[in-house]
Amino acid sequence: MDAQRHPEGMNPAEQAGERERIARAQDGDAEAWGELYRQYAQAIFRFCRRVMPTREDAEDATMDIFVKVRQKLAQYDSSHLFSAWLYRVAANHCWDLLRRRKGRQDLETGEIENIPLEHPDPGQLEQLIERRTSQEVRRALDKLPARARMALVLRYYSDMSYDDIAATLGVRRAFVGVVLLRARHELRDVLTEKGATSAPRRAAGDTA
Amino acid sequence: MNHFDEMACLLYLEGQLDPPRARELAAHSNECAACRTLLHALERESSVLAAALTEDNEPMPARLLNTRGWGVPSWVWTLAFGAFAAGAYWLWTDNVDPWLQQLSNAGFGGTDLLSMVLFSGAFWKGWSSMIDAMQITFFFILGIAAIGLLRRWLRRSAAIAVVMSALALLLALPQPAGAAETRRGRSVLVPATETVHNDLIVTGPIVRIDGTVEGDLIAFTRDLTVTGHVTGDIIAFAGQMRMDGIVDGNLRVAANQVTIEGTVGKNVTVLANTLDLTSKGQVGGGLIALGADADLDGHIHRDLLGIIGTTDLHGAIGGQLWLRGGSLDVTSTAEIGGPAIFLGAQQPTVASGAKLASPIRVEITQEARRFRRRSAERLAIRQIFSYVAALLLGVLLVTVLPGFFRATLREAGRIGLPIGVGALALLAGIVLLILGVLLLFVGVGAGIAGVLGYAPILYVAQVFVGAWLGNKVLGEASNNTSAVVGRIALGLLILHLAGLIPVLGPLVWLAVALWGTGAILLGFYRMSRAESAAVSA
Repeated sequence: MDAQRHPEGMNPAEQAGERERIARAQDGDAEAWGELYRQYAQAIFRFCRRVMPTREDAEDATMDIFVKVRQKLAQYDSSHLFSAWLYRVAANHCWDLLRRRKGRQDLETGEIENIPLEHPDPGQLEQLIERRTSQEVRRALDKLPARARMALVLRYYSDMSYDDIAATLGVRRAFVGVVLLRARHELRDVLTEKGATSAPRRAAGDTA
Repeated sequence: MNHFDEMACLLYLEGQLDPPRARELAAHSNECAACRTLLHALERESSVLAAALTEDNEPMPARLLNTRGWGVPSWVWTLAFGAFAAGAYWLWTDNVDPWLQQLSNAGFGGTDLLSMVLFSGAFWKGWSSMIDAMQITFFFILGIAAIGLLRRWLRRSAAIAVVMSALALLLALPQPAGAAETRRGRSVLVPATETVHNDLIVTGPIVRIDGTVEGDLIAFTRDLTVTGHVTGDIIAFAGQMRMDGIVDGNLRVAANQVTIEGTVGKNVTVLANTLDLTSKGQVGGGLIALGADADLDGHIHRDLLGIIGTTDLHGAIGGQLWLRGGSLDVTSTAEIGGPAIFLGAQQPTVASGAKLASPIRVEITQEARRFRRRSAERLAIRQIFSYVAALLLGVLLVTVLPGFFRATLREAGRIGLPIGVGALALLAGIVLLILGVLLLFVGVGAGIAGVLGYAPILYVAQVFVGAWLGNKVLGEASNNTSAVVGRIALGLLILHLAGLIPVLGPLVWLAVALWGTGAILLGFYRMSRAESAAVSA
């Protein structure tokens, strides 16, 4: 986990530097804002790239998110991690876009949620995972429904807390684990080609 | 001991399991190889996922890498605005301006243009006063708002493609017209010996066609004379036009003065101040005319349909006559083959020798009534304009200033208070104006500026009263924007219709002005209160 993505990896001096930068940006210092942008733009872009269907969408979303962040900067409460707040703004923005675009059928699986999950064979699971490259995993992620993909990205890319994931996706907190586990199952299905029924989600292939 | 399920294992790994259960699971996994493997597999899965998601697999796009990266939107915004300005300038200089010049060459210059287009000034004289400055200003604001909304789109390449193809289409459009032959100059002459084997488009102050045009003739000119032969139609905008030749097709002309001395194979449509169909003139089909004066000596083979101020009929009409206008004079040489109807202010005079298939059916319309009818039409157009403008303003308010809209609408619901405040504000405004102007207390300029500041509020007032009315009829709107807009549309329609009632109308508008103004002022007050509360909190 690089420092850019998760600044809790920063040393105290860096953290103090960032706090000061945020305070200056909140006071309208363009220079400080520029530094913040450079610090986080890549992480947010990658986040958008993971959840949005196309590269174009990801670029647009990144810009819109930073415009939004700048407008809302005064509302940021320094008792929370800045990166966590940033990801929350980003997640809400992207989730709104996805929800507006897809309608509901793809996002709320409804009945399917009640079908019990098959207990995996631990040995097979381990094998399945070890044989996959990162690129294959990303391709498989692209084929997941929006909510499953979003949940996995929020948890394993943004390192978001269960509370924040629940708030972003609009589900009960106790349900977040279920969403994540189900998303993992769907991912495994795609990786073993069981999920071949779901059509590829991205027209433009992963550039990786 | 029972195995733990996958869910519990995942929650354990994520640190989401409550401590007693977590201890239980940890103890169990120490003894159970299967659960240990599952835990390990899940943990591997998490790290594989994190690695796949965080891998730096593609570079940052250039537009995000911009050192002033975040400033890109404003840069795009500037570019879009610049492109819009350039496009507007190009559209004006390359397209609109030449057309206007051609039209003014053709004798309908400047301010006459609109009235010329709208029936040669014979009707709708008050057109220019109809679209008052307020509405024009509002449409400008709307245009700017539209650009603001479009700027999001401009960022997308798809939208850019659409814009580009639209531009390409625009550029391609003159091409089909370009297939016709185009001539322009101070004076364009097609001599009698020449034959144009194509459609001909001519522009220039003086145009004279003595030769043959095998196709349509389209002319923008001041003086148009046709003595030759046109096998297609003639479409002309001219100061004056004289047709001595032969047209096989139709003649459609808008001009100040039109003289037809030749033969038109098909129909004639004329929009002119004066129309003269001389005794040699022949119209193979019917004649439709809108104008002030018509002198019809020639032969119209089919019907005459006209709205003409003064008509002198000496010639023959093969079909029926339907005429609306001031006066009709039918001389002894005239003939009408079909039924004739005249609607006008005066009884038509019919000479004894005239050959009429049946007596002219006359309906006398009173001058006063006609005047009222016309002004009612004007009023209707004006109402439609102001209705649409007010509705668009409402849409703008709901979408751009939803908080202000809601606050003001809430105030409007109190009825008595806003009307009182509105009346006070109006009185205060009048007193201030009188003070300002008469006593030169704050100077004339300030007084006028005050009124100018007040006028938009008066204009916006109707939106809120309309919205309130719509809510009363259809029930309170939800937060759904389209539902709110629907209620505004209905309320405004009711207001505008009520405003048409003779005596009641002005009273309705006075009430709307007081009520809405009061609501707006109270809305402003509440908003500023809320804002200062938010700041101090």
